[in-house]
Amino acid sequence: MSTHLENDLENVKLKMFEMADMAIDAIRMSVESLKKSDVATAEQVIQNDTYLDKMEIMIDDACIKLLVTRQPAAGDLRLVLAVLKINTDLERIGDLATNIAKETIRCDGRTPLKPLVDIPRMGGICIEMLKDALQAISTRDVARAQRVIETDTEIDYLNMQIYRELFSYMAENPHTITQAMGLIMVSKALERIGDHATNIAERAIYYIQGEDVRHQL
Amino acid sequence: MEEKIKVNALTFYYNTKAAICGITLPMYKNTVTALIGPSGCGKSTFIRCINRMNDIIPNTSVDGEILIDGVNIYEPRYDVTGLRRRVGMVFQKSNPFPKSIFENIAYGLKINGVRNRYDIEGIVENSLKSTALWDEVKDRLNESALGLSGGQQQRLCIARTIAVQPEIILMDEPASALDPISTMKIEELIQDLKHNYTIVIVTHNMQQAARVSDYTAFFYMGELIELNKTETIFTKPEKKMTENYITGKFG
Repeated sequence: MSTHLENDLENVKLKMFEMADMAIDAIRMSVESLKKSDVATAEQVIQNDTYLDKMEIMIDDACIKLLVTRQPAAGDLRLVLAVLKINTDLERIGDLATNIAKETIRCDGRTPLKPLVDIPRMGGICIEMLKDALQAISTRDVARAQRVIETDTEIDYLNMQIYRELFSYMAENPHTITQAMGLIMVSKALERIGDHATNIAERAIYYIQGEDVRHQL
Repeated sequence: MEEKIKVNALTFYYNTKAAICGITLPMYKNTVTALIGPSGCGKSTFIRCINRMNDIIPNTSVDGEILIDGVNIYEPRYDVTGLRRRVGMVFQKSNPFPKSIFENIAYGLKINGVRNRYDIEGIVENSLKSTALWDEVKDRLNESALGLSGGQQQRLCIARTIAVQPEIILMDEPASALDPISTMKIEELIQDLKHNYTIVIVTHNMQQAARVSDYTAFFYMGELIELNKTETIFTKPEKKMTENYITGKFG
């Protein structure tokens, strides 16, 4: 028989996973909208972000209530603390996806600078990182969380590669500056999403092992 | 939400000294209301007014009223025995009768006129199941209740209370004499029972109030300082005095 504490912990965990699914959808849809110049999808991302904001407040409230009324200890306490922080990461991911979607809307009607290859690749890696980080929490798999942290360098590398490519576009033809700057902003947003996925993986390790692995590189 | 108990301007005197002064508070059906406050603040006196347990103390008197389902239990011709059937009570120290486990529960039923053996056996089993005691005692129902552990005895007393199907259960520090595991079992039980009963609990343990109750009333020197949702009391209490008490600055 599960206790009331266990039920409440399971509920906040489920809400967090639900929010994570929404954040993953936001990344996927925003990058797709940019790739296909699909303004309707971009607008959908912006609209969905309000749900993510509401979820953030709801999960925070549920965690505070759980801390006050159930007084979790040890692993249970670490889970609530991890959820509280992951919640903020997920909300920020939603905001960053919104920024990407806004770039799609800004580019509406213009001929794309170039076919997008690396940006969708970055988006794909970010989504995998997030899924792995959450899976690590669900299955208490430290090795998996560790791999997410390591993958972040791949994202950073791609980001720099995109910067270099776009700088060369701008140097060759100053008319591309507006669009290239837009894509640099998108690349930066994806790089930040990678950082948030890394944060989530670090919090997963904290939850599972009680060990704080932040700022160790 | 339906008000099961409504206390209006209740003052209770020991001789001429008021132990609780002008308390007004509602208690809602199917909720747990916790009463907290430092020793001597009137919590226990208050809870004992709800089933008129204080009537038996000499030189005491009551002003104000307590309405249960809209009827004042301090009306002169109110049926006090019937009241105590509707309002069960669990005390700090478990007090099983020196009888068998089965008889502890069956006793209340018998004096309430239940004669059919099958009815009694069914109710005994259900009461023990709803207090999560059945699996622990089902093979020794005829052994003395005094052989049970403290936590089991307390759950037996709760089972005995609910066997006669009260509407309200009063608990005066029901877990203060128990170890942490037994305490947890009692707390889990309280939260399961609230679906069928209205529960009022006195506790010295603020964390326990936070864990088990939906509403918390903070008493100080016989007065009700604040009644609020438990979550609110422990995150943003309205009164400074409540905050000082729950953060351990006095009391």
